Amino acid sequence: MVLAVKSEGLKIGYLDEQDNVLWAVKGVNLEVSEGEIYCIVGESGSGKSTVALAISGILPPHAVTEGELYVYGNLVIRGESRSYEKIRGRLVTYIPQSPGTGLNPYLTLGDQFYHVLKSLRGSTRKEAKAEAKKYLEMAGLDPASTLDRYPHELSGGMQQRAAIALALSTGARVLVADEPTSSLDAHLRLQIANLLLRLREEVKLTVIFITHDLLLASRVGDRVAVMYAGSLAEVGKLREVLLKPLHPYTSMLVDVIPTLGVKKQLKCYSGEPPRPGSNDEGCPFFDRCPYRFSKCAAEKPRLSLAEGDRYVACWLYGNRE
Amino acid sequence: MWRAGSTVTASSKPVIELKNVTAGYYTAEGFKTLKKVFKPAITKIDLKVNDGERLAIIGESGSGKTTLLRVILGLLPPLRGDVVVLGEQIYRVPARLRWRITRQIGYVPQDPAKSLNPRLRVAEVMAEPLARTDLSEKEKAERIRDALRIVQLHESILDYYPSQLSGGMMQRVLIARAIVHDPEILLLDEPTSALDVSIQAQIINLLCSIHEKLELAMVTVTHDLPVAQYLADQAVILYRGTIVEKGPMEEIIAHPRSEHARLLVTSYLSGLNGLDRINRAEGVSAGIKRETQR
Ligand SMILES: Nc1ncnc2c1ncn2[C@@H]1O[C@H](COP(=O)(O)OP(=O)(O)OP(=O)(O)O)[C@@H](O)[C@H]1O
Ligand SMILES: Nc1ncnc2c1ncn2[C@@H]1O[C@H](COP(=O)(O)OP(=O)(O)OP(=O)(O)O)[C@@H](O)[C@H]1O
Ligand SMILES: [Mg+2]
Ligand SMILES: [Mg+2]
Repeated sequence: MVLAVKSEGLKIGYLDEQDNVLWAVKGVNLEVSEGEIYCIVGESGSGKSTVALAISGILPPHAVTEGELYVYGNLVIRGESRSYEKIRGRLVTYIPQSPGTGLNPYLTLGDQFYHVLKSLRGSTRKEAKAEAKKYLEMAGLDPASTLDRYPHELSGGMQQRAAIALALSTGARVLVADEPTSSLDAHLRLQIANLLLRLREEVKLTVIFITHDLLLASRVGDRVAVMYAGSLAEVGKLREVLLKPLHPYTSMLVDVIPTLGVKKQLKCYSGEPPRPGSNDEGCPFFDRCPYRFSKCAAEKPRLSLAEGDRYVACWLYGNRE
Repeated sequence: MWRAGSTVTASSKPVIELKNVTAGYYTAEGFKTLKKVFKPAITKIDLKVNDGERLAIIGESGSGKTTLLRVILGLLPPLRGDVVVLGEQIYRVPARLRWRITRQIGYVPQDPAKSLNPRLRVAEVMAEPLARTDLSEKEKAERIRDALRIVQLHESILDYYPSQLSGGMMQRVLIARAIVHDPEILLLDEPTSALDVSIQAQIINLLCSIHEKLELAMVTVTHDLPVAQYLADQAVILYRGTIVEKGPMEEIIAHPRSEHARLLVTSYLSGLNGLDRINRAEGVSAGIKRETQR
């Protein structure tokens, strides 16, 4: 089994004006296999995008790192130093949240493919056009009616497909999609999800799919990592995690999702996630956890094997190494 | 709190009535001409909301939901049609007197972060709807305290500026502002879409309890069918500015009749297959070991 992405003790923070580091990602161990659709879910501010940017090689300069991150065996983050030369835009590609922001508004789709492919591989116009056709079709768009269009002449769903097609044309093996569907309507969300599933079959693409929509994740993902306040709370097979959440935070997420046609009361969990920079002792979910006990306040649980291939960071599960 | 339906029984007294309403915007056509053309955003809308009723207006982005609310709020005169709020044809009333009727409406706008003036403290934000009432300062303060209690916010929040609030707190402030003057109608524009799921659930439960306590008519605009299921008993589905379906919420979910409603319902149902959904409803959190090691 080839690992597409692997991190060990990855920490990422941002420098504020006083040069203090606010840690957004606090020691994360990830292992994503080739061809896997790996979802990262969590609430706003939990650090999902920060992980996405790190894998894609587009962390801003004021970001600080610790630990290690590998992409297809290439060490891209090693402590404070980061180097992505062979990776960025070639092995890994990034799709941002809102449709269109992955596209240049001033160029037709055909020209965008040409510019990207010329700079990456020195393609000619003709070669670029042939490639563009191939990838637009793969993304479910009709090349004849889209190649000469500008992004604003396409609907949101079409723009997002075009962005995916453009990203794939680079030959990237890993697609990092940061909430690629959150601004789309329900049926378009599903279309994009199905597209990703198909691409995984066709080109063995590895997809890191970032979302706060657990139900959508369940539609596409093989495995899921649940993030809370910069740490992983639980990692496992999506179906299993949804049907039998182990970490109290994952349980909460499952309890509070309104599901169409299911009559259940939405449980009320009070409180909000801790603010960035707040104290780091103990379990980050302590304040909101219905099952907390004294140890949880004193010591932060580490992600460890709970049962089967499920990893949980919670003292309820003994926290064996 | 969620029940199969609300405990407040809707009367048959309409508080909002729209008859054959067409409304939209004048937009410049092309760069060169200054000519403005009318582009309808909603066409031929017939809608009735009864006292105490919970109605959802469901539609995709751009389908005209916010436009419809603007018309009801007295902010956008329709091109055609009648708009009756609390028994009055609001657009027959002179614009400068219209607020006497529309102040009976509490309104939570679409984007919480953008709809609060960053320079005003929560105390000033909350006092806005009370400005044109003849309440004494003491009564006003009382009202504000009551509203904060209902949305479960501590009074100390009155000294905060919007930038110091989290998304969930901001939405609570906006809801408190919408109910502080004891309105008869509450209009909510996408009240949960900017919030995280766990906060979303808190706000859904809060809105349900507000509807029961204050016994008002509640109209929720949303693109999210599962959320609508919790916040409404009646629903209309808006598609490209027209109503393509209306009826009881449960009926629409179980038997959508229009093409568009069917598409909408199925795209949510395929999130998890039926088996999973039933399992989940029964055995949520079954995984948690309850015998904790205290
Ligand atoms: N460029 C940046 N500079 C400084 N701080 C940042 C930057 N980007 C993110 N942060 C901070 O890092 C933390 C994690 O943010 P991140 O964007 O990774 O979260 P997220 O899980 O993607 O949230 P969302 O669901 O809102 O997109 C937050 O506290 C955020 O304020
Ligand atoms: N101020 C405006 N001027 C011109 N056109 C407008 C204006 N506001 C809205 N529109 C147009 O009217 C139509 C309906 O917009 P509206 O804001 O009512 O949709 P909506 O259903 O609320 O969408 P969303 O879910 O994105 O908020 C859209 O085509 C929009 O572009
Ligand atoms: Mg993000
Ligand atoms: Mg709107």
